[in-house]
Amino acid sequence: MFEWLESTALAIWVGESLWGYPFLLGLHAIGLAIVVGIFVMLGLRMLRIIRGVSFNAFLSLYPLAWTGLLLNALSGSALFTSQATTFVQSAPFLIKISAVLAGVILGIFLQRRLKLRIADWDAADANIESSAAAFAVLSLVCWIGAIFAGRLIAYL
Amino acid sequence: MIETLVQAIEGGAINTWVLSTFWLWPLLEIIHFIGLSLLLGSILVVDLRLAGLLRQIDLVSTQHLLPWALAGFTMNLISGVLFFFGDPGRYSINIGFQIKMVLVLVAGLNLLVFALKINPHMSNWDPHGDTTVFAKTVAWVSLAVWTGVLLLGRLIPYIGTG
Repeated sequence: MFEWLESTALAIWVGESLWGYPFLLGLHAIGLAIVVGIFVMLGLRMLRIIRGVSFNAFLSLYPLAWTGLLLNALSGSALFTSQATTFVQSAPFLIKISAVLAGVILGIFLQRRLKLRIADWDAADANIESSAAAFAVLSLVCWIGAIFAGRLIAYL
Repeated sequence: MIETLVQAIEGGAINTWVLSTFWLWPLLEIIHFIGLSLLLGSILVVDLRLAGLLRQIDLVSTQHLLPWALAGFTMNLISGVLFFFGDPGRYSINIGFQIKMVLVLVAGLNLLVFALKINPHMSNWDPHGDTTVFAKTVAWVSLAVWTGVLLLGRLIPYIGTG
């Protein structure tokens, strides 16, 4: 299946055109900054390291975060096709994908929790449950871990 | 001038350290990516609000994100300078790198305009209202320039030198 993927027109364009691969990498970096940037800010806010920004503000940032994620799912899939057989055997790649998936699931979970608790959390920082803070830590670990593993794909 | 700089760096203590520490380059790349996420993530929120969008967000509250932009920039300045010291010959003549540095400078000047002409007045504005045309211009220049910095940075290994 992965060999077939590498033989598709998309994979060949990504791998062989002059600008295909670098252009997609550029898009991937922009999407990364949006997704990781917003989720790291949210995580730091939930841990009360960032203060003074309302949780309502973060709720309104969610569509932007999901747009960044979509951008990276698309650019990432296109990049993947060009070297599919190599990537599926790369440990850092598999760790990265797992970290991103876990980060997305946590992101959805935090979004639902945020909607339920927004009035209390915006009333006082002390109302943020320690269980919610624990999920924020997990979310930070996932996104920073995804960057770690993602960068190491080129080295291991 | 560039050649003199490259010659001064090559063979020096920092150049040798960056090149001879085998895990350092990937570690610096990781730091550079975490830094760009902090910088761009916080700048994005500040600029979109300053551009008059996302009005549910209190305009003045976005100032609480600025220290994180500075933290991200500092991480990237340090890791970036070390990249340059590790391979000055390649970076200095790379057109992608050169334009990227010009754009970082433009972003810095734009930030200066924000700090002097906009930030001190923001507390007088409607926290959930529209912003001035001047503020919007500064915001979109910032977003465009930083997006360019990111794209060019990613292109450096692929773009022609000279």
